[in-house]
Amino acid sequence: MDKKKVVVVGGGIAGIQASLDLADRGYEVHVVEKSPSIGGHMAQLDKTFPTNDCSMCILSPKMISCADHENVVLHTYSELDGVDGAFPDFKVRIREKARFIDTSRCTACGDCIAKCPVKVTSEFEEGLSNRKAVYIPFPQAVPRKATIDKDHCRMITQKKCGVCKKACQAEAVDFDQEDSMVEIDASAVVLANGFDLMDATSMPEYGLGICKDVITSLQLERILSASGPTNGRLQRPSDEKEPRNLGFIQCVGSRDSNTRSYCSSVCCMYATKESILAREHAPEVDIAIFYMDMRATGKGFQEFVSRARDTYGVRYIRSRPAKIQPVNGDSGVLMNYETRGLAGESKTEEFDMLVLCPALVPSPDNVLLSQMLHVELDGEGFFETPDLAHPVDTTARGILVCGFASGPIDIPDSVSQASAVAARVAELIEGGEDS
Amino acid sequence: MNEFNPNILAFCCNWCSYAGADLAGVNRLQMPPNVNVVRVMCSASVKPEYIFKAVSQGIDGVLVLGCHIGDCHYLTGNHRTAKRIPLAARLLGKVGIDPRRVRLDWVSAAEGEKFQQVVTEFVEDVKKLGPNPMKEVRF
Amino acid sequence: MIRIGVFICHCGHNIASAVDVEKVVEFAKTLPGVVHAGHNLYSCSQEGLSSIKKSIEENELNRVVVAACTPRTHEPLFRRACEQAGINKYLFEFVNIREHCSWIHSKEPEAATEKAKKLVAMGVAKAALLEPQEEGESKVIPRAVVIGAGISGLAATASLLGQGIETHLIEKSDRMGGLLKDVAIIGPEGTDSKSLIEAFMSDIRTSPKAHVHLNSRIKELKGFIGNFEVTIGNEAEDLKVEAGAIIVATGACELRPEGEYGLCEHPQVITQLELEKMLSKSELTAKNFVIINCAGSRQPGREYCSRICCNASLKNSLRILDLDPDASVTILHRDVMSCGTAAEALYMNASDKGVRFVRYSLEQPPQVRAEGDGLFVEVFDETLDEKIDLDADMVVLATPLVSPDDSVETSKLLKVPRDKYGFFLEAHVKLRPVEFATDGVFVCGSARWPVSARECIWQGQAAAAKASIPISEGKVRIEAITAEVNPDKCVACGNCVLACPYDAIEITDRDGIRAAEVNEAQCKGCGTCVAACHNDAIQQKGFSSRQLGAMIDALVRATTEGTQ
Repeated sequence: MDKKKVVVVGGGIAGIQASLDLADRGYEVHVVEKSPSIGGHMAQLDKTFPTNDCSMCILSPKMISCADHENVVLHTYSELDGVDGAFPDFKVRIREKARFIDTSRCTACGDCIAKCPVKVTSEFEEGLSNRKAVYIPFPQAVPRKATIDKDHCRMITQKKCGVCKKACQAEAVDFDQEDSMVEIDASAVVLANGFDLMDATSMPEYGLGICKDVITSLQLERILSASGPTNGRLQRPSDEKEPRNLGFIQCVGSRDSNTRSYCSSVCCMYATKESILAREHAPEVDIAIFYMDMRATGKGFQEFVSRARDTYGVRYIRSRPAKIQPVNGDSGVLMNYETRGLAGESKTEEFDMLVLCPALVPSPDNVLLSQMLHVELDGEGFFETPDLAHPVDTTARGILVCGFASGPIDIPDSVSQASAVAARVAELIEGGEDS
Repeated sequence: MNEFNPNILAFCCNWCSYAGADLAGVNRLQMPPNVNVVRVMCSASVKPEYIFKAVSQGIDGVLVLGCHIGDCHYLTGNHRTAKRIPLAARLLGKVGIDPRRVRLDWVSAAEGEKFQQVVTEFVEDVKKLGPNPMKEVRF
Repeated sequence: MIRIGVFICHCGHNIASAVDVEKVVEFAKTLPGVVHAGHNLYSCSQEGLSSIKKSIEENELNRVVVAACTPRTHEPLFRRACEQAGINKYLFEFVNIREHCSWIHSKEPEAATEKAKKLVAMGVAKAALLEPQEEGESKVIPRAVVIGAGISGLAATASLLGQGIETHLIEKSDRMGGLLKDVAIIGPEGTDSKSLIEAFMSDIRTSPKAHVHLNSRIKELKGFIGNFEVTIGNEAEDLKVEAGAIIVATGACELRPEGEYGLCEHPQVITQLELEKMLSKSELTAKNFVIINCAGSRQPGREYCSRICCNASLKNSLRILDLDPDASVTILHRDVMSCGTAAEALYMNASDKGVRFVRYSLEQPPQVRAEGDGLFVEVFDETLDEKIDLDADMVVLATPLVSPDDSVETSKLLKVPRDKYGFFLEAHVKLRPVEFATDGVFVCGSARWPVSARECIWQGQAAAAKASIPISEGKVRIEAITAEVNPDKCVACGNCVLACPYDAIEITDRDGIRAAEVNEAQCKGCGTCVAACHNDAIQQKGFSSRQLGAMIDALVRATTEGTQ
């Protein structure tokens, strides 16, 4: 008998874990990932809280297991094009976008990348460095194949160049490649398409894009990473100097009725983690975290915060910034804030660098996916999971959700939800459940 | 003269003490670099002969770490360890090797700090004992 | 001929910041049997693995040593890479120079480098003596056991049954439902608790594959993944059940800090669970409520946050105001932990409805005192920066969930570890949240860490998914670390037979030669018999006395001859 098929949308940690469990359970899993590699946001992280385990070190084996699994088919650089039918007979169309590279020939030697003359801002490095128009997003990418970015490639946009084709001895470059369509008869669909960072430049009061030394937490994550744009050296963007002090602003755009009213659940802890790491990279740096409530609710979290405060001398200051502005010249940031209490006073502190922890928001793809799959979104735009007895079931039968796509949660919760998805799929398929 | 830097061998069981040592690493607990860990599946698989061999060749100390009594992954394996290792240490005493060069202790998978503490203490203890006299023996 | 390849991992900066990787590579090249030594930025990346595979081919390697992180997480990955390159996976040896070296000697780079060299020398010496092995297979009994019939255990059981898997559910009390039995409404969702539990219980009751054992406990556990034998006992009798997988869903209980905050001294001081019971009867016996959050948690000795109490306080405040719009509710808190969308909405809703929030600090906790018929709570309000005195006719303590006393026993019976607070310790805090390091045993719900009903349910389902994998597969592979006897050396003394905790060894007579013989399917690879043998006649695959002896020799050599 043919294996039943399941389509998993999103190749971050939630999608990877769901795929592995479903594949181990005997289903044929098709992972649809829009970027050229699986890994998601977790691949961008330097370490993970509260153990400071190296993120790539624990993720990479999962990525490779996923790619190697006999029951998993990866469709990277792909997106859902359309879905017909209903449980248990979905017809899922997947658009595999043209990479302009014959992946069966590409050896990821990097010759094409070395020769490509076009520099493009790197998405993976959060804009802190450049990649080429032909690129492999990060060293541990899975699959490790080059991709030509058609919006920036000179050969594709202007019909002149083609040096990558000349450089490629494997003859893998193919400028005539077109998008291809794959149709899968799937019994179930899993949504695991994660989150985006809120664009904090839309809130000029925080200074992102105005002051050079105001960055996002995900940018700091890349700066701290040994394989990141600064090779793990803590430095501020304006003059590449090691900052003497560093401020973190929590709840940027979250817990705010004007923007996002909810709590993103993970920022208190990752700011604590990043502050410990920053101190390890630059033992002299003074760190202050400006927060509303310190939400350390998971296993070992409270101890982690205590360690940051007591061992690493991180200052936790319960306050919101009143004003953030550039200092004279290009470097550094001035920040006004109120100290606590009615007797509180207004303080001004100069920081060499400020790190914003923006709201984590639903992927903009959710709207399209909800229409395509006839599932409801909640008021914030996450996939709705109304049945408490089945926390990973969306409003449509046979369509499950895990990870941040259903609301703010951390990595272990995403992983356990992903396994729960595997159980639910098995229940629906094996049990012929008719609830 | 250089400070005496003992060379120590440790046997850690896969389930508890090796995991405890891993946890110490994950928590970046710093400790002296004198202890070299050998992974075994159970502390009960450590033959006294390994200890004799190590000590006779000049290793300054041997640590055997297992699961706490009652927690052994293999039911009762460490009950045997608990008898065997002290006996091996006593035998060493009979031939003139200080039995304190052998230490048995229990470190669970959750006890990174205990691993750090045992390692630090043992290195200090062996430093006090000085170099293993067998080092000077030339056959 | 032995041809060993050695690969030293930088692990980004994790290893390379303390260990001079190039020096270790140069040293490795000098070791006996090594024909190739190299390094990778991340050995576990696809690039790292393919370079190892390529090197196996180019250098005709027949042994591989990777010096990187811990075999407990990464050994399967490198073993698979070896297999893909055509080398038996048991010809791979892992050396841990991260957890056991660079991370714990991060401030002593020279000493760390020297130690890494020694560890590599030991690994190489062992690798030279490794032999290819074949793995056996063992059948999996298509049945699961779930311990605990709280919400996590119910969800796990219902999911297993839904997948068509026969399941035994063991509950120590006389009813299913756990802590939620005393809760009327589950927050922040607002779901009716009774009907939720009833839905799961009716799934279980109507399933022909369900066996519910109330008033029962696990008395004994034998066996291993695929073939556990569980003894379930109640007052009347013991029952033996064979199962392929086990799920621990033993939950947590509410702390009752007697004597603190006037609990047990004043009848009007109650715990949150007692308030839940009152609310489920829809009868309020007070007007002015003061709820004290973090009563007994986030303090020295019990430093953790119990995760669910803030949301319970918020939900219950709203419930109080629903029942009596004239009531007043003040929540004393240190931080309001309403993570996520629904909980934060609950917090805002409570604020809007007039619940008063007062922030206090660990240093100045609230004091409860009785005066006349009433209670007063004195607290230093961090926001107002002054001491306030609150009139209360009921004080509710939001105390943390703690591990039940009998979790010690469960931990010992199942051979699974607990953390310092008594909660069960999962295999990996980030990526293996519902698994134990022991194969075939899983954990979910508040037995692992205090979690909400929603989290309990999905974790129960997650544990059910993990348990269903070997059961649906029908077989598990036996790692080739079992013991084997050399009949030429064996004198049939029977020491190993007595030593084996699994009765896996017997003395047999083959053509007049009496010798010990190991039943491979029963052998769990502990090596206890190996140390019991006086004649070195019994050896554990992958941990033979020659291999371990060679490691000792290598350590001695690396020390006396220097590692330069």
